[in-house]
Amino acid sequence: MFKRFRSLFRVVTRRRDFEDGMSEELRFHVEQWTEDLVRSGMSREKAARLIRMEFGSLDNVKLDCREAFGVHLFDELRRQLSYAARLLRKAPGFTATALLTLAVCFGANLTIFAVIDSVLLRPLPFPESDRLMTIFNTYPKAGVERDGSSVTNYYERRGHIPAFASLSVYGYGTEIVGEPGSTERLQTMRVSPDFFSTLGLGPAIGRTFTDEETTSETNHVAILSDTFWRQRYNADPNVIGKQIRVNSVPRTVIGVLPPAFRFLSSDARVFLPLAARLEDRAPSRRHSGGNVIQMIARLQPDATLAQAQSEIDAQNEALEVDDPQAKMIADAGFRSLVVPLRADHVAAVRPTLLLLEAGVLVLLLIGAVNLVNLLLIRASGRVKELAVRQALGAGWRYLVSEVVVETTLLTFAGGLLGLAIGAGGIQLLRGLGADRLPLGSRIVFDARLALVALVAAIIMGIVFAVPVACFHLRRHLGNALQSESRGGTSGHGAQILRHSFIVSQIALAFILLAGAGLLGLSLQRVMAISPGFQSDHVLTGQILLPWADYSEAGRLKFVESLMDKLDHLPGVLSAGVVNNVPFSGNSGKSAATVAGHVRRPGESARGHYSYGVAGDYFRAMGFSLRAGRFLTADDSRRSARVCVVDEDFARYYWPHASAIGQGLWDGSEAGKDAEAFTIVGVVGGVKQAGLTESEAQGAIYYPYAFRIGDSVFVAVRTSLPPESFALTLQKVVRQIDADVPVSDLRSMDTRIADSLVAHRSPALLAGLFSGIALLLTSIGTYGVLSYAVAQRRREIGLRMALGAQPGQIRSEFFYLSLRLLAGGVILGVIGAWLTGQAMQAVLFHVPAFNPAILAGAVFVMALVSLIACLLPSQRAARISPMETLAEE
Amino acid sequence: MGKTAELLPGTLDMLILKAVSLKPLHGYGVLLRIRQISKDALEIPQGSLYPALYRLEHHDLIAAEWGQSENNRRAKYYTLTAAGRRRLRDETAGWNRLASAIAAALNTTPEEV
Repeated sequence: MFKRFRSLFRVVTRRRDFEDGMSEELRFHVEQWTEDLVRSGMSREKAARLIRMEFGSLDNVKLDCREAFGVHLFDELRRQLSYAARLLRKAPGFTATALLTLAVCFGANLTIFAVIDSVLLRPLPFPESDRLMTIFNTYPKAGVERDGSSVTNYYERRGHIPAFASLSVYGYGTEIVGEPGSTERLQTMRVSPDFFSTLGLGPAIGRTFTDEETTSETNHVAILSDTFWRQRYNADPNVIGKQIRVNSVPRTVIGVLPPAFRFLSSDARVFLPLAARLEDRAPSRRHSGGNVIQMIARLQPDATLAQAQSEIDAQNEALEVDDPQAKMIADAGFRSLVVPLRADHVAAVRPTLLLLEAGVLVLLLIGAVNLVNLLLIRASGRVKELAVRQALGAGWRYLVSEVVVETTLLTFAGGLLGLAIGAGGIQLLRGLGADRLPLGSRIVFDARLALVALVAAIIMGIVFAVPVACFHLRRHLGNALQSESRGGTSGHGAQILRHSFIVSQIALAFILLAGAGLLGLSLQRVMAISPGFQSDHVLTGQILLPWADYSEAGRLKFVESLMDKLDHLPGVLSAGVVNNVPFSGNSGKSAATVAGHVRRPGESARGHYSYGVAGDYFRAMGFSLRAGRFLTADDSRRSARVCVVDEDFARYYWPHASAIGQGLWDGSEAGKDAEAFTIVGVVGGVKQAGLTESEAQGAIYYPYAFRIGDSVFVAVRTSLPPESFALTLQKVVRQIDADVPVSDLRSMDTRIADSLVAHRSPALLAGLFSGIALLLTSIGTYGVLSYAVAQRRREIGLRMALGAQPGQIRSEFFYLSLRLLAGGVILGVIGAWLTGQAMQAVLFHVPAFNPAILAGAVFVMALVSLIACLLPSQRAARISPMETLAEE
Repeated sequence: MGKTAELLPGTLDMLILKAVSLKPLHGYGVLLRIRQISKDALEIPQGSLYPALYRLEHHDLIAAEWGQSENNRRAKYYTLTAAGRRRLRDETAGWNRLASAIAAALNTTPEEV
């Protein structure tokens, strides 16, 4: 079979050679034969006549030869293609509508499929990546769903879980890289030595980290990403052994990763060993993950996820036996979950993406129904022509192939246009934040995608041909020749088919419209939530203070002088510093113990958002004060043990009393009385991770001196537009230390808007899809009704001649479209309700059945389809009886 | 030329395969060879020789190659492929079975019934 295709392919690609060879062969035969005949005594003329008689026409022989070789099919195809192209050119209105419909539908599908492909389908760029797992600790009853893993977990599990071939840990970070004066802030990763072997992809040059390099004294080595190596070192092959300064500490480059290396969505340029002190590896630190360090593992070829999970569970149980905190850990519902790495990484966006994919598929379905309808209408215009041709002996095979060629030509051209729209659509999606999706930076428009689209286009062309071909072949020739010749009404069955197509189109468009409405309403509800502070006029930025350059005292001094400088700037109303502003994308919780609080049975230590603040942070952010006072600049200087909690925290521990004057300890154990922090104020609750955050976990604000970290966020309330203050802020920081950049400079309003992208973009896209769906549906309705009017011209003319009023005719078509609309809407409401149920995962406080949304959708749908039917019914009413009767 | 028999449908392919199996031949040579090995008893309809050759080549039962004819002209020579050889063997066996069965049937006398 394959060989035959190959020989056919050879002939088709070298068609001229085939023809020349055939002619030469036949000429040779004739000449040889003539010679033989002449030699046997025949005259040349007589020989020629004999040969002509025996051989028949040479052209006929050639025709038979071509057919024997299968070449004739290609000649046929070429002829049919040019015929189809001619037909399509002759109907520019139909062709343009069809091509546009196809292009938009293909383009939209291609765009969303590109995202689905990169985020959900294409494997991670590691060998046998489906065996990569992630393992994280969870304490659901303490309000901590995800706590990463601890260094202790790593050392306890490494080599002790038989289901895993390899296990490693990593943490994301940002570091200041480069020599003083030319530093830049880069994303980095700290990884355990077996990180690269777990992934199955290691350095292209050099080596990986060793176990000896995992202490803070010996970890002065680094592995570079391919990008960084090319940019900073100009792809120098002798880079191994060179020094690179990371956070002012010189490190030796020991390896360069291959270009294809990309771990999940990370854009890390420099990889450093994950160093840990011996005491951090001790059993007492087992539950100190804090979502900073993550664990990955590779399953053994014959092991399953369930096996790994049960081995992890068994080990956890065995280890917790002699843990003094065992009871509390168990109360918190502690478990370590094993989850496939990729699924875990994209879990949050999966429902939204699937929803959008369903949306574009519905769009494609509407477009397809539209097109089939238009094709059928067109086919009925050609019934007579085809009936005549069939009557004259055209075979059904030939007619079917003609239809297939025509529809496939149409869909293929539409597919090509769709490629262009898809490429544009992917750009549009980038603007809507698609590259910020997990694995979103892999979204590309490549040859693979184009191939998928074109193959789909061809398949669609063949599918479209089926109803058209059936329409032509099923007809009784005699009937067709007779009835259509006098422009009579079309078959009842065909009409029902066309109408049910319109009904289903209206229903599908209605579902899309209602779905978009639900998403829009959900977005509106999210946006209506107050973040708990006044987000306007606040500029925030992150400042990184590397340990090597800054001691704790140095950091305090830096923050002090920053506050001092900012307070004296014109336009600054108030300024403050915090470990982490709300909506920064990373917010860790840690435990606190409240003096005098007796844990209820089953209650574990709770994780609370815990921050250190300096300057006038609360006023800068516009927090509201519920009781007591804010922490002020003086508190951070005096180092008095005071703190402020939010109302959620206060309500949880003192539901009936005041929190002011109460004491608490930072950590999961009660300490000495002298170490307790006294609550001096209660502030309003604030959304920390996002507006949709439902669980009020409580927050504690300590003076910065007690919570010094290597990164701080500065928040400045200005009287000017906050963005205009960005340059001034950078200048002020540079005055204190020229090597410390301010990054992630955004106003709080922008941060909140950015956090809504997961709600806004799907709503926008769904709105766009339903807009297109409405347009397609109105085109479809218009097309079918116009056709119905054209079909019944004679009948209407006759009726008007007998006294029917234009108004009667108009309302007859109007009622027809009302019936179609009603049918579509009834089906649509059912569909929309089911869709709403399926969408619950991505909706925020919006029930599946929302009467307002449905009423709105009915209104829009009715408006659009009635406008679409207005023109045809108007035309029907204006039919002149004289003209139509004279036509016949 | 003696008495010639009409070719049964489907037998042309078999004869071409047989002719080519003896020695690589060009199209005209195939014609002559069939005439020769059938002792002039079989006459090939000229118009169907080449379509048959092309069909066999397309189905990979014979292979074609350009070469020099006896009188130094360029000519297309056909040879049998492995698949062609298998086909010839099967068809020969099948034909022999059919022929002997028909012969036996036609030779039946009233006494044997």
